[in-house]
Amino acid sequence: MPMFQPSKRDGVVVAGFDGSGDGQVLDLDTAVKDGVLGGGVGGGVIGAAVGEKLDLKKMIEELDLPEIPSVFICPISLEPMQDPVTLCTGQTYERSNILKWFNLGHYTCPTTMQELWDDSITPNRTLYHLICTWFSQKYSRMKKKSEDVQERVCELLQTLKKAKGQARIQALKELKQVVAVHATAIKTVVDEGGVALISSLLGPFTSHAVGSEAIAILVNLELDSESKTNLMQPTKISLMVDMLNEGSVETKINCTRLIEKLMEEKEFRSESISSHRLLVGLMRLVKDKKHSNGILPGLSLLRSICLHKQVMSLIVSIGAVPQLVELLPTLEPDCLELALFILDALSSLPEGKEALKDCGNSIPNMVRLLMRVSESCTQYALSILWSVCKLAPEECSSVAVEAGLAAKLLLMIQSGCNPVLKQKSSELLKLCSLNYTDTIFISKCKLTRTIQ
Amino acid sequence: MGLLCSKNRHYAEADIEENAQAAEIERRIEQETKAEKHIQKLLLLGAGESGKSTIFKQIKLLFQTGFDEAELKSYVSVIDANIYQTIKILYDGSKEFAHNDVNSSKYVLSSENKVIGEKLSEIGSRLDYPRLNRELAEEIGELWKDSAIQETYARGIELQVPDCTHYFMENLQRLSDANYVPTKEDVLYARVRTTGVVEIQFSPVGENKKSGEVYRLFDVGGQRNERRKWIHLFEGVTAVIFCAAINEYDQTLFEDEQKNRMMETKELFDWVLKQPCFEKTSFMLFLNKFDIFEKKVLKVPLNVCEWFKDYQPVSAGKQEIEHAFEFIKKKFEELYFQSTAPDRVDRVFKVYRTTALDQKVVKKTFKLVDETLRRRNLLEAGLL
Repeated sequence: MPMFQPSKRDGVVVAGFDGSGDGQVLDLDTAVKDGVLGGGVGGGVIGAAVGEKLDLKKMIEELDLPEIPSVFICPISLEPMQDPVTLCTGQTYERSNILKWFNLGHYTCPTTMQELWDDSITPNRTLYHLICTWFSQKYSRMKKKSEDVQERVCELLQTLKKAKGQARIQALKELKQVVAVHATAIKTVVDEGGVALISSLLGPFTSHAVGSEAIAILVNLELDSESKTNLMQPTKISLMVDMLNEGSVETKINCTRLIEKLMEEKEFRSESISSHRLLVGLMRLVKDKKHSNGILPGLSLLRSICLHKQVMSLIVSIGAVPQLVELLPTLEPDCLELALFILDALSSLPEGKEALKDCGNSIPNMVRLLMRVSESCTQYALSILWSVCKLAPEECSSVAVEAGLAAKLLLMIQSGCNPVLKQKSSELLKLCSLNYTDTIFISKCKLTRTIQ
Repeated sequence: MGLLCSKNRHYAEADIEENAQAAEIERRIEQETKAEKHIQKLLLLGAGESGKSTIFKQIKLLFQTGFDEAELKSYVSVIDANIYQTIKILYDGSKEFAHNDVNSSKYVLSSENKVIGEKLSEIGSRLDYPRLNRELAEEIGELWKDSAIQETYARGIELQVPDCTHYFMENLQRLSDANYVPTKEDVLYARVRTTGVVEIQFSPVGENKKSGEVYRLFDVGGQRNERRKWIHLFEGVTAVIFCAAINEYDQTLFEDEQKNRMMETKELFDWVLKQPCFEKTSFMLFLNKFDIFEKKVLKVPLNVCEWFKDYQPVSAGKQEIEHAFEFIKKKFEELYFQSTAPDRVDRVFKVYRTTALDQKVVKKTFKLVDETLRRRNLLEAGLL
């Protein structure tokens, strides 16, 4: 079958290949427009065959394009051909693939199913050149674009070294855009010392406008150990906490994520996060009903903070416990798990237990969550209920039972959840039953509408 | 005026004119009330000698036309007074230490200087001070150089020696010149105890020249007896700039030598935070006199102040200074949240490190304050 089939030509009977919905072999219009055909562009890939092959392989791999003209694709492997050969039937395949086909004992043309009357395979030079040219064009365009991006990034970084005021803010904004659109820019920024430069812009007199843009860039970069340590300086963290309190939701989220990244560093001192302002700001972010995209990052950071024991009592002291409890019914599953983890961690402190007990909705909310969302949620909710009921058995277990705890626990014991959970459930059930006579208790164990 | 003349006219005409004028006055009151609403009130609060007035002067220098020659000259008598009062305190102090201290010989002056000292002490106790002249300046200089006085100065905090002492003593020759006109820096150092209330109106000039915000800044007396005068100012305040001198953790009050200054500041801040009129007010806490703090904190441990008794030093040099500063900052933050009811937690609360005498620092700090207040306005207008 000829290489370029003008789209108007129908009536050609070829199974599979042409005439299918995928369309033409090579649309003359696009071929000319793209310059692959006689456009003169993208030439220069005329060299030793070996050299070309290597380049081609590299280009195909690096480009990793999702859409390649169907005519370049080997019908056997569905990969672009690097050494196309044509059989006597006129079909073209990747040399290694068709040879494998022959070695398996077939002497047919895979697509037309015809028996081959001639076992010669002819290298399809024309197609090969087309493929090389096409890929070279794409490749050099990509390289150019990436160089453009690199150049732009370098320019912006140079500008940042000197610019002040509005010019500085503009440069930062543009850099943020470039980094967001082109993944390659990230590497360039890091290689050109951009991290240290941007970090140096953060200080005690940094305006919100500059700080918010700088953080928006930093949070998307790969930060090495030294950069993270640099960013952990008290004045810089203080600035981030300020912006977390006063910025737009995007800025708040960026600060939250950046602080969380910094916390991964082993040099991190828990003193840095032992701050009323930070925790109050985080709670505000988590409770923001208008901007729900902040809830997950906020809870995630709170969770990381909970891993530092010293800070936990500070979290309780700012009243986080009742606020989190009230929030539970509105949370999505992933946020719910985080919130429950936090409450469970806080319940290990005496003041945490007290706060949970004092909040009226703790028990009903926890009971409602059992066997509702996921096993880990159930685990945390159970653990919290256990802490609270242990603290004040008479008071709390009756509230819990009224909320339908007993029935839920029975459900858990009978269900397929893990044995530790079952064990805990039965212990809690026993604890709760102590205040009731058997008959009354059994009636409480019936499934009520709260559980449905 | 028109009302006076109306006697000579027909009744009807007089009426019309009166009405017209009344309408005009009404209109003007309405306009001004509207304009007033756009003026943001800033209140400078803090204990005595916390640096409020210095900030006030700085704002005047930065955003108004500064001080004209007449205003500058008006400070000459203030500076003279500072000098006489200070040298008297030092001289009297040296006598006291010489009398009571174990190492009394350290505080004994040379006989010539004793004569000078007596003379200056007498001048310093007068109500009216003579203008500082060459002769007096030389004598004061001699006395200042005496080792006994220097030893006394080293214990200056026990005597309520003001912070400007060193600066003025080092500049005596210039200050005593017949044609002396105080420089801006001299004015910033000059110390007057503010009584009553002073205010200025200004507009911060940003890069885009006029930022459009108009602020009215009020400075009040910090000593205890002055506080009852503040109350009527509290309505409709946009922001409180609370000044706390962080170097004062080892000093006592001017008005009550039993009370530690930092504890006083702590109580005052607590009181201010709880005032009902400040429910929606933004709080800018200026932790001031950082320059003096820097030098002191490595020598005098923070735990001499009861509020900071749980402080643990971790390192030395610059790192330690930063650490100590962060500790104090956290203490104030803790106090803020403890004294703030849950419904007020959304007030703007920011902490700044300042050295009020450094104009650049004050300018940069104020730029940040301005930015914060403007953002707050936009937020409240729903535009952010």
